[in-house]
Amino acid sequence: MHNSKAHIWFIAPAIVLMIIILIFPLFLAGGISFTDYNLGNKTFEWVGLENYDKMFNRKTYVKMIWATATYVIVVVPISVVLGLCAAMLLNSLRFGADIYKTIFFLPVMATLLAMAIAWEFTLHPTLGIVNSFLANGCGGVREFILGFHWLPWVDSQESWYAVACANNMDFPYWLKQKNTAIWTVCFIGIWQAFGFNMVLYLAGLTSIPRELYQAAEMDGAKSTWEQFKLVTWPMLGPTTLFVVTITTIRTFQVFDTIEILTKGGPSKTTYVMMYAIFEKAIQQNLTSIGAAITVVFIGFILVLTFFQRYVIEKRVHY
Amino acid sequence: MGTISLKNISKSFGSTQVLNNLNVDINDGEFLTLVGPSGCGKSTLLRIIAGLEQQTSGDVLIDNKNVNRVRASERDLAMVFQSYALYPHLTVRRNLETPLRLRDYNAFERLPLIGNFSPSKKEKTESINQLVNKTSETLKISELLDRKPGQLSGGQRQRVALGRAMVREPVAFLMDEPLSNLDAALRVHMRSELSELHNSLKTTFVYVTHDQAEALTMSSRMAVMIDGNLLQLDTPQEVYDNPSSLSVAQFVGSPKINIFKGTADSSGTISFLNVNLKRKSSESNTDLHIGIRPEHLEITNESNENTFSGTVAYRENLGSDIFFHVNIEDGSNKIIVRGLPQFTHQISNGSSVNIKRVSDKALLFNQAGMRVQFTNA
Repeated sequence: MHNSKAHIWFIAPAIVLMIIILIFPLFLAGGISFTDYNLGNKTFEWVGLENYDKMFNRKTYVKMIWATATYVIVVVPISVVLGLCAAMLLNSLRFGADIYKTIFFLPVMATLLAMAIAWEFTLHPTLGIVNSFLANGCGGVREFILGFHWLPWVDSQESWYAVACANNMDFPYWLKQKNTAIWTVCFIGIWQAFGFNMVLYLAGLTSIPRELYQAAEMDGAKSTWEQFKLVTWPMLGPTTLFVVTITTIRTFQVFDTIEILTKGGPSKTTYVMMYAIFEKAIQQNLTSIGAAITVVFIGFILVLTFFQRYVIEKRVHY
Repeated sequence: MGTISLKNISKSFGSTQVLNNLNVDINDGEFLTLVGPSGCGKSTLLRIIAGLEQQTSGDVLIDNKNVNRVRASERDLAMVFQSYALYPHLTVRRNLETPLRLRDYNAFERLPLIGNFSPSKKEKTESINQLVNKTSETLKISELLDRKPGQLSGGQRQRVALGRAMVREPVAFLMDEPLSNLDAALRVHMRSELSELHNSLKTTFVYVTHDQAEALTMSSRMAVMIDGNLLQLDTPQEVYDNPSSLSVAQFVGSPKINIFKGTADSSGTISFLNVNLKRKSSESNTDLHIGIRPEHLEITNESNENTFSGTVAYRENLGSDIFFHVNIEDGSNKIIVRGLPQFTHQISNGSSVNIKRVSDKALLFNQAGMRVQFTNA
């Protein structure tokens, strides 16, 4: 080693910036979460774990954890599996793949804010296209398919569709009803996320050497399923790891759709963490509780990242 | 049994004709090499035999059964790919097991966990293990069985790829340039190993290569393909000594055969440079190409009507032989002459030399590149 100090000058700007805009605020948030400080206050008291205690005991915050967990657990697997299926279907197409790629990728490119407003109109209980589509389908094929009348155990008089038709077109108020709001938001989340996953999987699929499929064929892997098991899925391991990680982090961060469509309601069923941070810390100026939620939020993300880094990473790279 | 017949095989991709009405009969237990320059369609032909590619027209017969409509996995052939195509996520043992597992276990037995409840699975697993152990001993890869392909060297991967092909005793082995990713020394070594393997297995080998040396050293017969046409199919010695056309003569043999422009007069007497050949051509009054291989030319001190002279442009010393690249005096040709080091070591670049030919070794080709025979007289 020599004594030149030049290297310090090279890395200093990045380190300083990182400390100022990332590390310091993080510790600040951590510190504030143990106080009763609100923005604008001149003084504050240390309150210990009170903020955290609230979070795990007050109903609102328990609901927040539930809503977030539901959203993540529903959106991540479905959008990943759908993304993979769409990518494999597109990969097998000879013509028209580009059109489908564009269509599926549109929700990713479009501003989610604008898309959310479009969804709000689409799902409007009386004016929305969804409910008018359902209402027009009473007694027809739509009722048969969407009412699940084709399933042997569903009574065609008792299905949700039939009941709604019978009760003067009483279809769900998708975003305004406790039992449908979170699922509707999940649906929009999936619709928005899977196009991105599909593109990542498409890239992953094109990087699988064709000779591997041919080797599998020569080895006697006849069905598509066998070839998928032997070649596609293992070779997509690194892609899947990346897709799952990034989708999880993005779903944890869901905010725009909630802000536009439900504002966390009805009765906090869609009260996800990002929205809670925004509502508490910004709208209600309860900085300390907002900071506590942020710390928990970061905790989740960190656990995920470590899990990815040290547990799964070792199994997908050969 | 392992006979493969190709009848009138043609293949085109769009408007590009890749294979042109090929007929090949491959005998049981034969080591047949498909050799030709890159892009001649040899790999495509191999993939048509394998069933990975569908021919545009013609028939593929394996053991006299038409397999045009039989998919690759059901043709009972094994293939070694140029890139080896090992499954990178599986250990060497699992790689070797894969073809057996896919063929021997039924769908239920392949299921994870519950598949183990099948009563016949244990027995099958036993026999799979035995086969894998036997194969890995033959190929000397037993100590590699628990590694992943990523941890192996090129040569070891090559063996594993061979092992995966060998383990289930197929009707024939198809090999697509299996040695081209190895370094030169290992490639030469693997040539002899492959030949030994072929001798001990006695299974049909169809081997694709662009390297005429591999074809000459290993095969029982070689098929020379150029531009989608099969030009000659014969034993390596016959192809070398008796090429059917100018392209074959130029492709086979290293360094390349020397080609001289010459003429045959009305009596069939052949002359080129200042030399007349003793034998006469069966075609008279025509221009000819006279091919003489480098080892059939000698550097000599004599100077007479049977020698010609030139200047050494480049001296290529291979240790056992020295090849002299010689510019002929009239400037028409650059030829290669083999010299034995003990007689020619003092000749350096720029020296002028006299060159003599070994008699009875010249090959004649007409303007179209087809072989012309000498008259028997």
